[in-house]
Formats: sequence, structure tokens, C-alpha cells
Amino acid sequence: MKPRETFYDVMRRQGITRRSFMKYCSLTASALGLGPAFVPKIAHAMETKPRTPVIWLHGLECTCCSESFIRSAHPLVKDVVLSMISLDYDDTLMAAAGHAAERALEETIEQYRGNYILAVEGNPPLNEDGMFCITGGKPFVEKLRHAAKDAKAIISWGACASYGCVQAAYPNPTQATPVHKVITDKPIIKVPGCPPIAEVMTGVITYMLTFDRLPELDRQGRPAMFYGQRIHDKCYRRPHFDAGQFVEAWDDENARKGYCLYKMGCKGPTTYNACSTIRWNEGVSFPIQSGHGCIGCSEDGFWDQGSFYDRVTDLTQFGVESNADKIGMTAAAGVGGAVALHAAVSALKAAQRKTQNDVSEEA
Amino acid sequence: MTDPTRTLLVGPFNRVEGDLEIRLEVEDGQVRAAYANSPLFRGFERMLVGKDPRDAMTITPRICGICSISQSAAAAAALGSLTGAHPAPQGALAAAILHGVENLADHVTHFNLFFMPDFARPAYAGRDWHDTAVARFTAAQGSAIRATVEARAKLFHIVGLLGGKWPHTLAIQPAGVTRAPSARDRQRIRLSLAGFRRHLEDVLFGAPIEAFAGLKSLDALMGWSTGDAGLFLRIAADLELDGLGRGPGRYLSFGAYPLAEGRAMAEGIWAEGRHQPLDTAAITEDLTHAWMLGRAAHPAHGVTEPDMEMTEPAYSWCKAPRLGGRTMEVGALARAVVDGHPLALDLAARGGGVLARIAGRLLEIARTQVLLEEWAAALDPGAPFMADMPPIRDGSGEGLVEAARGALGHWIRVEGGRIAGYQIVAPTTWNFSPRDAEGTPGPVEAALVGAPVRPDEDTPLAVQHIVRSFDPCMVCTVH
Repeated sequence: MKPRETFYDVMRRQGITRRSFMKYCSLTASALGLGPAFVPKIAHAMETKPRTPVIWLHGLECTCCSESFIRSAHPLVKDVVLSMISLDYDDTLMAAAGHAAERALEETIEQYRGNYILAVEGNPPLNEDGMFCITGGKPFVEKLRHAAKDAKAIISWGACASYGCVQAAYPNPTQATPVHKVITDKPIIKVPGCPPIAEVMTGVITYMLTFDRLPELDRQGRPAMFYGQRIHDKCYRRPHFDAGQFVEAWDDENARKGYCLYKMGCKGPTTYNACSTIRWNEGVSFPIQSGHGCIGCSEDGFWDQGSFYDRVTDLTQFGVESNADKIGMTAAAGVGGAVALHAAVSALKAAQRKTQNDVSEEA
Repeated sequence: MTDPTRTLLVGPFNRVEGDLEIRLEVEDGQVRAAYANSPLFRGFERMLVGKDPRDAMTITPRICGICSISQSAAAAAALGSLTGAHPAPQGALAAAILHGVENLADHVTHFNLFFMPDFARPAYAGRDWHDTAVARFTAAQGSAIRATVEARAKLFHIVGLLGGKWPHTLAIQPAGVTRAPSARDRQRIRLSLAGFRRHLEDVLFGAPIEAFAGLKSLDALMGWSTGDAGLFLRIAADLELDGLGRGPGRYLSFGAYPLAEGRAMAEGIWAEGRHQPLDTAAITEDLTHAWMLGRAAHPAHGVTEPDMEMTEPAYSWCKAPRLGGRTMEVGALARAVVDGHPLALDLAARGGGVLARIAGRLLEIARTQVLLEEWAAALDPGAPFMADMPPIRDGSGEGLVEAARGALGHWIRVEGGRIAGYQIVAPTTWNFSPRDAEGTPGPVEAALVGAPVRPDEDTPLAVQHIVRSFDPCMVCTVH
């Protein structure tokens, strides 16, 4: 087999300058929360490692993840990650159709057996033998299992693949099921959100391509670097929450003053995501900035937690330095029965670290 | 040579939103009959039952990642009709800007990412336009595709400013929008629009958009030679796309962008060569060829009960909407025809088809850009953007909007403060509907009849062009 191109080869082929490349490396490092010392490491990795192929499959979903992805802020991220590196196979964007498309998938699996990353958008519905989502004459769950078998690792894009999302809302007519409940023998990273933020998606994928392993995950299997803090912790309206200044009705005087949206049903206090720091649509804004509360779309079960306009009542008062794991620990200590659960969760986390190591050893 | 009569199963299509499979009966090198199957069902209408009515505004947008604002606008309109809420005039204006940006972006995406790449296929090698098409539109890497993705991302800054995020924007409510833009926001919106105009005039049209919006006839259209629009028209003339994929010749539009002074594009139908008023009470959804239980009903009374046995003769999850028992074509072309634009009327009078649909979309790109600029200039940061919201009460409501792909309706019924019934009829449900009780094929099924199929083709190009000319959104179709 001829040697595979490196990331840098691909970039050069696209006419990207060295200067631009180095800028990309430093932006990536800062997006990932890594210090300047990592910039040359990223550059070195991209110059020497063969590019990692990615297969991107769509199950029961709405394509919002892809839509988010192609709006990443840095043009290089789009060019490099989207069209040059990642998408050896993608349902929505590729040229081929019909049997040619099915063949392309088979060829990619064959050629990169054990080396590719499988990115899954959407999830498989299991009811009635999977007949609610049929692609190429077969239930999606079969295509998913088939593509997962020889994957190095799996990315569950968005709330659908990670948790089920709204299509799993009661009564979950199709039994929409998250990926990790169907594929149990591969390292899986969850990148929830409906959709996830573009820069989070490119950040995760760049980390995996560069370091050839999963980033550190929290106890729910989400990358800690992006899901380590509540939206509330970094919300620019937080001072108003602390001061007890709230919006009481849409577009009232308090709304014009930018007061806190907690009383309008904002789920920021219980939602772990990077919306209030990275923001959306190339850093322009995020839902709270548009005057509407957060709906908590990166949390498991957000679709069945009562109305999106109901006030959060299970708010725990922790400082901004807390993360999901710490809060989990404190909550567990407070509730006797939950201690065993937390131990199990910690064990799961240890197992995830192990799978990360496995991935890097295999490579 | 293969057998002169054969059956082809075409799909997955890719480069359409969602999954689609079409069965073709081919005879003597032509499609004799077509059956469109929407193979993806999620059951949104069932999940909504029992929920807080306001939650429809968060849940229904998630039917679709590319027309989520359309869904949220329809849900807000249905709640508005239920409660009698009237949006603040400036709120309606901001909602129209949000919706217009999404529709504009969808059209540009369809043209560049979904439709044009088919002309870069090797099967067209040797045509005098093929090299240009390859350079511009090769899937995922053509120069036009990159330019479009870039320009589109910048255009969406407007949705960021007014709606917080896209996809799945939350700002639109029955009585207005949650965000009152500042004078600075208005300026940034106008700058983003100016940037997008530059993109359209440099790349897509190669000339001022007003010139394209002012075209009055098919002949004038075919004389347009600049930009990627010019390239398309050259290809269309060469491949005779005007005669390909003729629709039912009946067009339906709910009327786009409800503003305080009325809808910016007229509502109505166009059939038998003339305008006629629209009566939404005449809409029914026929279930004879859908894997659904129950009888044909108006969406206000309809149910969604999947048939787990998938009993024949049904062949799709899609219901078959009909207006007064007849199929209707919806989309940008239909909107412009119903609105009375001379070019669209000329295209419709000559029979519609692939060229007419793409031209209708290009025309709407030009017109929407102009409308957006006017609306942005009319934003008044000091005015209220949200009117008083009457309380949710029991009863029913109808929310009618125009998504990029055509007429979108939500019908809600509330009992005891909870959703008791919710039915959605999406644009592609109209266009890609299966047969009805009379055996009448849906618009795309009818449009495919007569499409040429070469003996060596198993994914016929003509079929691809026809199907994509409708810009199907399969996730909305069945939901």
C-alpha cells in the first residue's frame, strides 16, 4: 500500500501557506485549551502523521450537526477538516449516489480497516427491526454496526447520537437509541448539543487527528475541555442572576437591560456546554444573548424534562470552579443511595481512560 | 442491451436532505411509472401530544436542521392563531428577516451543493461546458462550493445577532421575537447583507441582482450569460432541461413573510392558467398508499398512526396531501407564480419543469436579497419587538408559512392546556407524496414519467436532475 498523505501534504496541495498553517496550529492549540508549547507539537504531528480518514454516517436525524459543522469560524478548519481530510464518505455532501455511494463506503472501510474514525450523526431506531430508517434497502442500524466494526473510534455527533434527542421523546415511537447502546466494543466520544457548536466539533476532531487519541472525557463521555462548565458559569448575564435581577416577560424593560433569563425557563444553570464562551455562528452570539433562555440541548433527556419554559427547580448552587464531576461527587455525598452509583460512574470513567490509551497504542 | 422493460430502485440519493428511494418502471428507455418512498419516520406528531403547547416551538424545529426557522415560524404562527396573539410589527419584521435569511441560504446551498454537482459527472465529459462545471462544482471541493459555504456562514451572522444561534433558533414567538436588536445590531445586519450581495453579484449572477429580478420572460432568461447562473442556463439550453420533469401545472403558496401590512408574497393557488383563492379547509391527507392507519382527513383532525405491518399497496411513510382532491406543486417557483412575477408566470405557462424550478429559485434569491435589505433598513431599535401574549387556551390553530421548499402548515389542537393533536404538512410532503385513493401519482412521481433512461444507467442522470430540481427535504416530509 502506498504511504498515505500527511495532513500537511493535503494542506499544501490546497495551496495553504506555511504561515497560515502555523496560525491554524496555534488557533487549534488555544481552542483546545493547550498552551503555546503545544503549537510545535501539533505542527509536527500534522507534518508527519498520515491523515486519518473519517467516515460520516447519517441515521435518524435532521442534519443540523453537518449544518453547524460547515460554519466553523476558521476557514482552514473548514477546508482542511471538512473537505480535505475528514470526509472520505459522507451522505449529505458527497458526489456519488446510489450503488456508487454504497461502493465508496465499502472501499473506504476496506482500505482503512482499523484506522478510520467513524462519525455518526443521528441514531438508529430499533423498533420493528429498524424499519423506520432504511438506507440502501437496509436498516440504518446494520449500516452502523457494519461501519463500526473496523473503526478505530467513534464520534457521536450531537444529542441524537449521544442521547437520542427529541426523536426519542416520549413515547419514542421508533425507539430511537443512542449509538453507545448499540455499539459497545469501541471507544466512543459524545459531542452532544442540538447541534453541537461548530468549533467544538472541529476542535474535537482536530484533537483526535493530531494526537491520535480521544481527549479527556467527563463521566458522561463528553470532552471535558468543552463540556466542563455550565453555561451559567460563564454567562455574561450571570451578575444579574447573582443580583436577583430577572426578566419577567419577553422584551420587557428588564429584557432590554439584559437581565437574567432564569425566570423565563433558562436551563443555563444545569447545562454543561461552551455556548457562553465560544458562542455560535462564528462567535456572534448564543441563545441567551438573543433574549431566549437556554433549553439545555447538550444534556441527556433535555426533551422530556417538562416545558422548556418552566423554571429550573433543581438548581444546585456551586461556584464557577465546579465541573460536572465535582458536582456529581458532592451530590452523591449528599444522597446516601447515590454513592454506589457514583462509584460506578467513576469506574466507567477509568474505563474510558483505558480505552483512550488503547486507541493510542493501537495506532 | 438489457431488457426493454425493467425495474430500477434508485437510492440512496445523497446530496438531498434525508433519505429517499425511488422505484422506477422503465420501458423503451423511458420511465413509465415512478414510486417515491420516504424511508425515514420519527413520529414527531405523536411525541407532541401531551406536551406544553409552547414546547412545539422548540421541538418542531428539530424536525429539520436546514429549515428549522421555517418550522419554528409555523409553530409560533399556529400558537398565534390559537391564542389570537398579534406579533408586534417590528417583531414580525425581525422574524421575517430571520426566516428570509434561512430561505436565501437554503436556495444558495441547493444550487451549489446539491443541484449543480451533477453536471460535473464524467458522463457529461466532452460537453463544451463540462470543464467549467468540474472546476466550479465538483462535490465538496469545487471553487463555487467553497465560496458559497464561506459566504453563507457570514450571512448567518444575521441569525446569530437576531436569533442567538442557527440551526434551531429559538427567538420567534407568537407575539414577536425575544431579541430587540440595537442600532449596532442593525448596522451589522446591513453590513452582512451588503457582503452577501457582493457574493451574489460577483459569483452567482455576475451582474446586479435587480437585473435578474427584473427578467420578464423565458427568452430574456435564456439570454442571461454571466455568473454561475449563466453557466447553468447554458447547460440547461444544451440539455433541454426546460422540457424535463414537468409538474402538475398547479401551484400552491401560503404566502411568504407575514408582516403587519400583509404577506410580502401573495397567498393563493395558480391552476388552469389563472390565479385562484386558497381555501385551506379543502386540504386533506390521503393515507391509502402510506404506511399509516386511519382515513383521509383534514390535518386539523388527522392522526399519525404508523402501520407496523407496512401493508401493501402502501410504499412510503409519506402521507398524500391534496387540495380539493388534486396534487399541487409547491416551492420557490410556485411562490413566484402565485405572487404574479412575470418571469415565473411565463415559465409556468410554458409547462414548468427542471429549468423553471431552478430559475424560480434563482429569481427568489435575487428578490429575497432585496427584501432583506429593505427590512433591515426598516428595523427600529426603539420600538417593541414583542406584543402582549394572550394565555394559551383550549382550541385549535393553523400556522401557515412558506419554507424555502414551499408551503408549510402546522395544525395544533389543545385540550386541558396540553397538546391533544398536532399535524404538520411539509413542502416535500406535497411534492413527494405517494399515490392517493384515485391512484393519482404525487407531483414528483408524475414529473418522472417520460424521463429518459439509457440502457447502461442504473442511477439515471435525468432522474437525478428531476428529483433534485424539487430540492427535496426528506426529513421534513415524514417527520
